[in-house]
Amino acid sequence: MSGIDAAVAERYATARTDSGMFKAGLWVEEVAALAYEAAADGALTGDDRAFAQRFAAQEREHAAVFETLLFSLTVPVREHAVPADLERLIPGLRRADRETALGRLGELEAAAIAGHQLMGRRLEVLDALRSVAAVMAGGAQHLVVIRAALGDEPLTKAFESGR
Amino acid sequence: MTLSRRDLLGAAALVVLAGCGVEEAGEAPPPDAEVLDGLLQVELAAGAALIGVAGAELLARQDQAHARRLAEAAGAEPAPRSADATRDVAGALARKQDAVFAYVAALPKLADPDHRVLVMQVAASEAEQLVVLREALGERPVLDAFAGFAAGAP
Repeated sequence: MSGIDAAVAERYATARTDSGMFKAGLWVEEVAALAYEAAADGALTGDDRAFAQRFAAQEREHAAVFETLLFSLTVPVREHAVPADLERLIPGLRRADRETALGRLGELEAAAIAGHQLMGRRLEVLDALRSVAAVMAGGAQHLVVIRAALGDEPLTKAFESGR
Repeated sequence: MTLSRRDLLGAAALVVLAGCGVEEAGEAPPPDAEVLDGLLQVELAAGAALIGVAGAELLARQDQAHARRLAEAAGAEPAPRSADATRDVAGALARKQDAVFAYVAALPKLADPDHRVLVMQVAASEAEQLVVLREALGERPVLDAFAGFAAGAP
């Protein structure tokens, strides 16, 4: 394991309020968008590159959900993920070989899912959970595509926890 | 990283869609057991065994595990799953998509955090299964960013 899970888990675990968890979610989804873009510009080719480019756009849609949830709490968004954040979380992704790049993307998706489920446990504004769960379900679908690209089995889990 | 106006408008639509819950209508939410029993019925309807799909046995076992855990959490006896298998993959896909919608819609109604996490884990599993079924049908495996919500939630 690369430490992605621990770093993402810490970001969620240290968030003590709904807005703190939404900020964590926003940052993770923005890093994921940057990660897919970096992988698409790096070792991925053909179908792998095509899905990475599509998923990068979808991660931006996920990020927009968290930004909108923050707006709904009248919390200004001052921090956005930047390429340096990606480099700290997943060093050298752009130069990584195909298997490593896909593996790291899978770890990041799984860590994000675990974070969404921590929100399921801790959020006070329960209606927001529907939006969070829709993002989580999208991430779970990304995970299946990555597992298939890596030839990992099983593609699906009975209880997807991201662990 | 900054988000486009299009991203934010799409997200706003999703958040508004998500915000139409029972609590907002001023009604008391039903007890968890009632919500979970409703989801168990959805799961049983969505979990018919499939013929001619690679990995169908695994999906059936996972659906049985979903039903067992939901029944356990609801304090109910799991109803026996229909023995009838089907070749109707498109129908199965539609039922599973409806199940994902139902699981996500139920979340704010659940008071126990453990129940919410269980339902999120099952929802994620069902969303994963949608990818397998779409592949089997020769369709694009991931329809949209939100496991079908952007394409047409009820």
